[in-house]
Amino acid sequence: MSAWRQAGLNYINYSQIAARVVRQALKADLRSEALKRDEVNVKFTQWKDGKPASKYIVFILFYLVVL
Amino acid sequence: MVKTHIVKFVGTSNFKMFSNHMATIVRLAAQQQQQQKRGMATLKAISIRLKSVKNIQKITQSMKMVSAAKYNRAERDLKQARPLGVGTKEFYEQAEIQAPPEDEKKLVIAITSDRGLCGAVHTGVSRNIRDALLADPKERENTKIICVGEKSRAILSRLFANNILFVASEVGRKPPTFNDAAKVANEILNSGYSFGSGRIVYNRFKSVVSYAVDQLPLFDKNAVVSAPKLSVYDSLDENVIQSYLEFSLASLLFYSMKEGACSEQSSRMTAMDNASKNAGEMIDKLTLTFNRTRQAVITRELIEIISGAAALD
Repeated sequence: MSAWRQAGLNYINYSQIAARVVRQALKADLRSEALKRDEVNVKFTQWKDGKPASKYIVFILFYLVVL
Repeated sequence: MVKTHIVKFVGTSNFKMFSNHMATIVRLAAQQQQQQKRGMATLKAISIRLKSVKNIQKITQSMKMVSAAKYNRAERDLKQARPLGVGTKEFYEQAEIQAPPEDEKKLVIAITSDRGLCGAVHTGVSRNIRDALLADPKERENTKIICVGEKSRAILSRLFANNILFVASEVGRKPPTFNDAAKVANEILNSGYSFGSGRIVYNRFKSVVSYAVDQLPLFDKNAVVSAPKLSVYDSLDENVIQSYLEFSLASLLFYSMKEGACSEQSSRMTAMDNASKNAGEMIDKLTLTFNRTRQAVITRELIEIISGAAALD
């Protein structure tokens, strides 16, 4: 078993970290172009029992309970 | 006649954004018609409508230009991403992997985006999933859906709200990156939902004018290990297969997102082209009615003056 898997990473995390390191090691003129490919736009909403379980809603509920 | 034309125009070009706007104009025009009776006084109403249709045509034309530029980029990106998807698919076919029949849990991933005004791109994907799930109630129970893009969420949550595992939004504003796909794949792996088999439903780009709903298979590790022809591949141990499956999930997602983005832009291009064409037709008809009405007003005024003068004689 490889060390990164023992550390709790899966292959996707592993290759992402490797890709980031390679991008950082590039020369300055190539790096700026490569960094554009590094960005992530996706956001996630978990669904539970047919409704979106938003963290935001949990946050509001938490506030209501506390106050 | 003009009003039905507006309805047709809005319907054919999938005009959600403007339909509200148009509806108020139509209502305003109708009110004016009631106030001032039929005939000559609609001149102003027609010119207002003419102006708004012209504005809409300008908007659709510029949207077409924008999506044409985006499409060019998407097609270039797609060419580079294709080997990732085709290679992975080839592995599944060569090893003749089949889903274990005893494991009924399934996963469906709908690849769409957040943006509309692009023809039937999103409905096609959603309809494919809907038909499959409605045909078999057992499958409906055992299938979880992952929606990539708000559009599939909007359609699928109406019928299968209980089946949705999670929704990935903010897709489609920028071209998808591999990191996006990797994050979705990671989310799937961490969701704790174990499935025997699955599929990615996406739009496969064929040419500028055509795309088709297609699907890519997904398999569990057990299905891969027990595949009959796995021996055609050399030196595979458990770790390699596990790592490869994780990576192939990300690359299949990436590939299908690229295909989807490309077909979406090409479809938006044709949709906006059609919308501009329809708007052009409407403008022609409205100009004609406008001129005719103006002519009629002039004629009527002349008749009034002449008959008034004749009455004085």
